[in-house]
Amino acid sequence: MKALLHAELLKLRTTRTFVAVVGTAAALSLILVALGASLDVGKDPHALFTNNSITYIIVLLGAIGMTGEWRHRTITGSVLAAPDRLRLLAAKAISYSVAGVVLSLLVTVATMLVGTLILAGRGEETLGAGGLADVLWRNLAVAALLGPLGVAFGALIRNQIVTVVGLIATAAVLEPAISQVAPDVGRFGPLAGAPGGVLGGVDAGALLAPGLAVVVLIGWAVLVFAAAALRLDRRDLV
Amino acid sequence: MAPVEVRDLSKRFGDFAAVKQLSFEIRPGRVTGFLGPNGAGKSTTLRALLGLVRPSSGSATFGGQRYDELERPGTRVGAVLEDASFHPGRSARNHLRVVAATGGHPARRVEEVLAAVDLTAAADRRVKGYSMGMKQRLAIASALLGDPQVLILDEPTNGLDPPGITWLRGLLREQADRGRAVLVSSHVLAEVAQSVDDVVVIADGELRAQGTLDAVLGGADGPATEVRAQDPARLTGALERRGHRVQRRGDVLHVAGATPEQVGEMAIHERVAVLGLAPRVRSLEEAFLTLTGART
Repeated sequence: MKALLHAELLKLRTTRTFVAVVGTAAALSLILVALGASLDVGKDPHALFTNNSITYIIVLLGAIGMTGEWRHRTITGSVLAAPDRLRLLAAKAISYSVAGVVLSLLVTVATMLVGTLILAGRGEETLGAGGLADVLWRNLAVAALLGPLGVAFGALIRNQIVTVVGLIATAAVLEPAISQVAPDVGRFGPLAGAPGGVLGGVDAGALLAPGLAVVVLIGWAVLVFAAAALRLDRRDLV
Repeated sequence: MAPVEVRDLSKRFGDFAAVKQLSFEIRPGRVTGFLGPNGAGKSTTLRALLGLVRPSSGSATFGGQRYDELERPGTRVGAVLEDASFHPGRSARNHLRVVAATGGHPARRVEEVLAAVDLTAAADRRVKGYSMGMKQRLAIASALLGDPQVLILDEPTNGLDPPGITWLRGLLREQADRGRAVLVSSHVLAEVAQSVDDVVVIADGELRAQGTLDAVLGGADGPATEVRAQDPARLTGALERRGHRVQRRGDVLHVAGATPEQVGEMAIHERVAVLGLAPRVRSLEEAFLTLTGART
């Protein structure tokens, strides 16, 4: 498993897509935090540092990484090198979990530094060590779980465009719409509802409690992973 | 135990039987050609061997073990499939580093196989800029990473230019000479005839012939002779009375089941002047077409 994990992390680091998407998301996060800290007066620093763009981007990266195996027809070579398909899928899921945590950690710490310096310079309220640690674990937990979820959705759907568009539409349109109509259902959603509960925010009363939200997100990841593993295991690669 | 053994293998895709009760084995130190026309079931058989498709019945094993049961399969079996694909944004060196990491092969093997397939100079270029031939060389390099005991290549000459094909023949021979079992599929007989020791011929998913190239080349008809005679009708009659099948093509008689010596003696006995006499060697192409029932 260690060798497989190493190989999957190497795959991740050796394509420009990953570097480009991560670089863009990280730069965007820093700019938004800098602008928010500089321009907004009285902004809640907790909300400011809840780093949605890099945290959410990992779900798309996971989906792109997995569906890319079919898009570029490299799945055959991957299965030849690692015939245990369940382990192959698990290694990819874990690698995107690790990547999500590392990226979220780097970007969250960077945005916290920049944001805190700007807020302190303007004499505004900042978060203490406890507050920063609270934001950090929430960001890391969501990134750690959304990466594998993206991989699992990718393995289940396989078509890259359908998967990416479907994930964005679900997170940005479908789940918010369900939350409007049936909030008690919407807050259990895999891409906006449950992650929103983990991250918390201004409307925390409408969200799941962070602990429960983590459990729900784990449940989604396990469910979609199991369905994807079943499909991959039974499929003839012709 | 044979390095590769296919036993009563069948594979159905819905109503279509791609492979039917196929059995054969290949030997170490030999290059075996796996021949058949397009759609014969060659790729399906190889994919069943490699665990990529699940057989409907029967087995396909390496030394008695299924591919997915092999420990570190890359050190036992190297495979080049017809649709070998790579991430277009990754360099050849990085592709090989990924395969080496997965298979637990030492990093130095990456440089060794790059040199073996003559891709060192282009190793850091992204694969999307590679020609078909370069991609094929990279696929072969991937297969060689684990220095495997068995090499399986599905239509490996696709995309290779004539020097590339010559290089590939040399590589296959070198691998066989080192005791490796090599199985190479092709539907273009001329490309494998010069490099294989044994052949397995399939058509419509069924085994049609298996054996050494010479045995299959000779076919089951026994000896055959071509003869030109001054009185072909008289010689034909004499040969047919002795049970030989004779076909006349122009002024040449094709005699099945008789050696040139037998035909010559018969001509002397019948007092027919012989203008030309030669053994008739069936071409592999002809044998192949006969075996597979393909039409020219």
